[in-house]
Amino acid sequence: MTRRVSIQELGGAHAIILHREHATVRNLSRQLGAIGLRITTCWPVLDASALGADFVFFDADMGHDEQFPWPAGQSPMPMIALIGSEAPGRIDWALSAGAEAQLLKPIGDGGVYSALLIARAAYDARKALLGDVESLRRRLNERQTVVRAVNFLMVSGVDEDAAYDRLRRMAMDWRISFEDAAQRVVARHLEKGDLHDRYGHQG
Amino acid sequence: MSRSGTYSLISEACRAGALSAIAQINADSDLDFTLHAVERDPEGNVDRYEPMCRDILDSTSARHVVGCVTSWSRKEVIPTLERAGATLWYSVPYEGFEASDHVVYTHACPNQHLLPLLDWAIPTYGNRAYLIGSNYIWGWEMNRIARQEIAMQGGEILGERYLPIGSPDVELMIREIASTRPDFILNSMIGRSQYQFIAAYHELGKTDPHFLPDNCPIMSCNLTEAELPALGDATEGLIAVGPYFRGSKVWPGEQNFNSSHEASTYTAVRELARLLALCPNAENLSLAELLRIDGAAVGIIDAQNHHTRLPVLIGQVEGGAFAIRRQFAPIMGDPYLSRGRGELEEVPPNLRVVS
Repeated sequence: MTRRVSIQELGGAHAIILHREHATVRNLSRQLGAIGLRITTCWPVLDASALGADFVFFDADMGHDEQFPWPAGQSPMPMIALIGSEAPGRIDWALSAGAEAQLLKPIGDGGVYSALLIARAAYDARKALLGDVESLRRRLNERQTVVRAVNFLMVSGVDEDAAYDRLRRMAMDWRISFEDAAQRVVARHLEKGDLHDRYGHQG
Repeated sequence: MSRSGTYSLISEACRAGALSAIAQINADSDLDFTLHAVERDPEGNVDRYEPMCRDILDSTSARHVVGCVTSWSRKEVIPTLERAGATLWYSVPYEGFEASDHVVYTHACPNQHLLPLLDWAIPTYGNRAYLIGSNYIWGWEMNRIARQEIAMQGGEILGERYLPIGSPDVELMIREIASTRPDFILNSMIGRSQYQFIAAYHELGKTDPHFLPDNCPIMSCNLTEAELPALGDATEGLIAVGPYFRGSKVWPGEQNFNSSHEASTYTAVRELARLLALCPNAENLSLAELLRIDGAAVGIIDAQNHHTRLPVLIGQVEGGAFAIRRQFAPIMGDPYLSRGRGELEEVPPNLRVVS
């Protein structure tokens, strides 16, 4: 139930509908207006002002990558596909464009509210995961730096565990990540001309 | 209207409001039409609403349906209304998060009932709440909003229990309430479960003064005068919020009603007649078409979400009738709680409000 507060915050959000003039647009707009969103309709392309929108509804039947001012699948907001032809090729494309939820045409009296909430939850989850992956990847890349920093710290005669603890304390004192602290330690030793660690490796 | 079944008292109140409006309209020689009521009784059985609604739309020329009490039954009939281009006039309080193109909502939704009630109840009684409800969307969603609100105001939910519609098994919730000793109880049960609970809680109050209404009252967003007769001597101190209590003159006008259920259904049918009188052959128009007629916009229905502007009254039963504890000026229904939480304008009870 931790999501319950944010789940309602749709009032005043900006939705862009990328679809040619059609009953689909009218019915979609009616539902969005009733929920409290601001609506802009665009066709055939989104311009750069779309970057500030909170949601994009896009036509999966007539759509193509060049309609969007961002690389395929990298929209800065949740995307909802408006699907008429449930053909595998079109669904494939809608997925590659970054659809987090979908509405089937013809659009009638309902469906938009759940599409908004599901798309946003999926988008937020994907963004959070990508953030986690990025930070893990960075930490993986810095593994070598950590090893070198520990080795430099061991030059003063302490064992590996103690050097590791010292590095952790430094990170805490400096209020930076463990990996950043390692980088700083390595840089400092290199500046001092301390080119060799405990094993005589070149710095 | 379920004239039989567990919530028949509410249906009867709504029906009385509809019939009184129809009688007035049919007696009005300025109008060039009369309204004819086609009646069906789904007996409070959710599976009978859609077939009966379909039958009315298929076998008669009626295009406007007045009725449904539970949100469950309303959600059952909406696809049928959509196919037929027909309109439901829904006149009881509900949990919000809906704005169908085929429904007019003439009673209150949470920004008009639950939120003002909690804003008053928490400073008045305390922030430790026990939540009960009937096991369907009304109880679930009301209690979800209440959990969120109470948590935001630093309060605590001591328990939350549901009963199937019609179930009388209130002992477990009564036992939990007796042991957790909340500051107030938010009741979103309907029909027999609610009557049973209120009676059992009244008994609990006789054995422990903590559970008297002054210390730990039961509060509801759907209790009106229509159901007091089912509660015998256990009504004293019950708290409810609604747009109308007997004797109030703020809404819908000068006329007296027996309950807000009756008043809101009366208002619905009057507004329907006003729209039908705006142009010839209006009886075959969909709600969206009716609302686009010249002159429709000055009415009570919000063009975007089909809700209405209602005053907020908090009443407490005193000597068998609701005494007004707080009264706020009319506000528009905001079913998705997306229009922000403005301060409600408090008005002294029983003064006329010009809105």
